[in-house]
Amino acid sequence: MEAGRLSAGSIGRQKGPMHSPVNWALLGLIIERPSYAYDLAQRFERRYGTVLTLSNVGHVYTAMGALEGRELVQEIPGTREGRQPKPRYRATAEGVRAYREWLIGQVGEDRRRQELFVLALAALAGDPEQIVEVVERCEQAWLTEGMGTRIAREQGAPLDGIPALLHRLIEEENRLAVGAKLAWVEYARQELKKLSGRLRRS
Amino acid sequence: MSLLVLDGVRKGYESGPGARQVLRDVSLDLDPGELAVVWGMRGSGRSTLMRIAAGIEPPDAGVVRFEGHDLAARGERLLGSGVGYCQKTLRFTDGHTALDHAMVGLLSRWMAPKLARKRSLHALERVGAERCAGMHRHELSSAEAVRVALARTLALEPKLIVIDEPVKGVELIDRDPILALLRSLADEGIAVLASTGESTGLSEADRALVLGDGELRGAPVRQLAPVVPLRSGLRSSSAS
Repeated sequence: MEAGRLSAGSIGRQKGPMHSPVNWALLGLIIERPSYAYDLAQRFERRYGTVLTLSNVGHVYTAMGALEGRELVQEIPGTREGRQPKPRYRATAEGVRAYREWLIGQVGEDRRRQELFVLALAALAGDPEQIVEVVERCEQAWLTEGMGTRIAREQGAPLDGIPALLHRLIEEENRLAVGAKLAWVEYARQELKKLSGRLRRS
Repeated sequence: MSLLVLDGVRKGYESGPGARQVLRDVSLDLDPGELAVVWGMRGSGRSTLMRIAAGIEPPDAGVVRFEGHDLAARGERLLGSGVGYCQKTLRFTDGHTALDHAMVGLLSRWMAPKLARKRSLHALERVGAERCAGMHRHELSSAEAVRVALARTLALEPKLIVIDEPVKGVELIDRDPILALLRSLADEGIAVLASTGESTGLSEADRALVLGDGELRGAPVRQLAPVVPLRSGLRSSSAS
């Protein structure tokens, strides 16, 4: 494989927000530890395999191009030399700063996703009963998700390090979020019932 | 036949303008070894549902059956003899210990004190509260109090445990061990019906339900993996 085929430096500084979650995930991995493409692809699969997809190692080179173009990562000098060049990348100070900002911005993403869901429901507003039906199906899905969450049987500092702790933090967020969603369904049902009653009367 | 069946249960409180229908046509069935958790907002009627399911309170309409027997007609006799209602609020009088408390149900059924003590100690051990045996109420943490309450119920060797909000008031860090305990009791074959106001209580339940506006709605029952008999599994692997 020809390493670093798509040299990031050739792309130049890119403008505008970076939307690709794959790129952000790769930036995070580089912040964690400077890496070369193949290593990044393997670590990506281990860390994000259940939630994000990387088509092949070439995808990593494309992402490195985008990240380097935004000056979020840089190639470590001297790592492209030799018979089998393996350019390694490290994060820039700007890369670390941008990554932190992106993480915090994810809070807004959750809100936007929920807003999109509710706005999309509006298409059925002519018949609130239909909305109630959709909302109740969602309730079932969230209940199923709640049942599927695991009880943490290990308390305190994990013995097997950060991955176990990360897993538990994800699980806990999920468990708590289900409660908020179920409460929202209760609220929505009440409001939709009132709307349905008003529409019937009018 | 299901162990517990609630069929078309209705319950309302007060009459006149303040009247409120808490449960409307609530139906539910529970099998041995099943952990069912009812989630509901405050005031949704989940405590009423738990009391009715345990036979402590009669429904206005509908029927509650335990092993085919109508709880409304035989509730008093069945409570403690198959149906265990776990009263979380511990009311030991001064001078009484957790072990005394765990023995109460057995002694009230005329069990010999020596045997009641042995069985209660075993129940305390089963729930991981053996160290609490000699403690008084004020010495117990909220999680330990729940364990002692469960031990008192378990000492009666119930087939069904009904518990209202097992982790309410328990420190966040202590909740999961109690949920794991309920899961393990179900895995041993005891049917467990619990209510919760927090979604964490739904974890690993076999059935999750929502009580809202008097209606009980549920997620599809979890499909258990088919059990392959060990012998046939061994035969097929040795044949290959």
